[in-house]
Amino acid sequence: MQTNGHPLDALGDPTRRQVFELLRDGPRSVSDLAQELPVSRPAVSQHLRVLADAGLVVHTKAGTRHLYELDAAGVESLRDWVDGFWNEALARFKAAAEASSRKGGER
Amino acid sequence: MSKTTTLEVVRKTVTVDCTVEEAFRIFTAEAGSWWPVETHSINVQVDEIVFEPNVGGAVYEVGANGERSHWATVLEWDPPHRLVLAWNILRRPGDLTEVEVQFLPNGDATRVELEHRGWEDVEVDGSEKRSNYDVGWDVVLGSYVGS
Repeated sequence: MQTNGHPLDALGDPTRRQVFELLRDGPRSVSDLAQELPVSRPAVSQHLRVLADAGLVVHTKAGTRHLYELDAAGVESLRDWVDGFWNEALARFKAAAEASSRKGGER
Repeated sequence: MSKTTTLEVVRKTVTVDCTVEEAFRIFTAEAGSWWPVETHSINVQVDEIVFEPNVGGAVYEVGANGERSHWATVLEWDPPHRLVLAWNILRRPGDLTEVEVQFLPNGDATRVELEHRGWEDVEVDGSEKRSNYDVGWDVVLGSYVGS
């Protein structure tokens, strides 16, 4: 259950995607979520923790009930992650293309 | 209640010292040589990145166990000048973002302009916009499920 806190890594697990998708319909408690998923409550809590670390889910309280809901900032963090992805990807692409082009020129 | 966030388009430009043809080929057919798999992949170990070279084609990574992870679908394919990908970022049909990459001649070099847009349509809650996307995205979902 290791991730680097990246939204896409967090969503790489099918059960966590299900949790995420259930939360799209509104805030839910751990027991609500566990009832709809083929996993235990502790497992649901663990998945929620990973989603929270990735900035996709936040914990809230309604009276005495502990609820989890999607973090509006989660999409923003996803966008920022993608921004970083392209910075790195394009730098590496440039290096690869220029290395390949130099090799071609020597032939 | 539906919350839709408005976020800036991601725009990147890089000038590469090679021809437009070469740049396009490396970007697609040889994506495995530069795709930052160590830090930005779905699988822990990636053996290959595949760009299927046609409209409707898939872009996916192949993990060490042979399992495919779908990244995107090719919407437009105009080698060696331009391509557009649908990156179904949260892997749900509604959450479509688009990546457009253009390869422009710049003297002996190539200017690569990348735009990753569609953030305004990524929802965090509610479903007002969902119906616009439900139609037409069966194809993409189908390619994901079927892979």
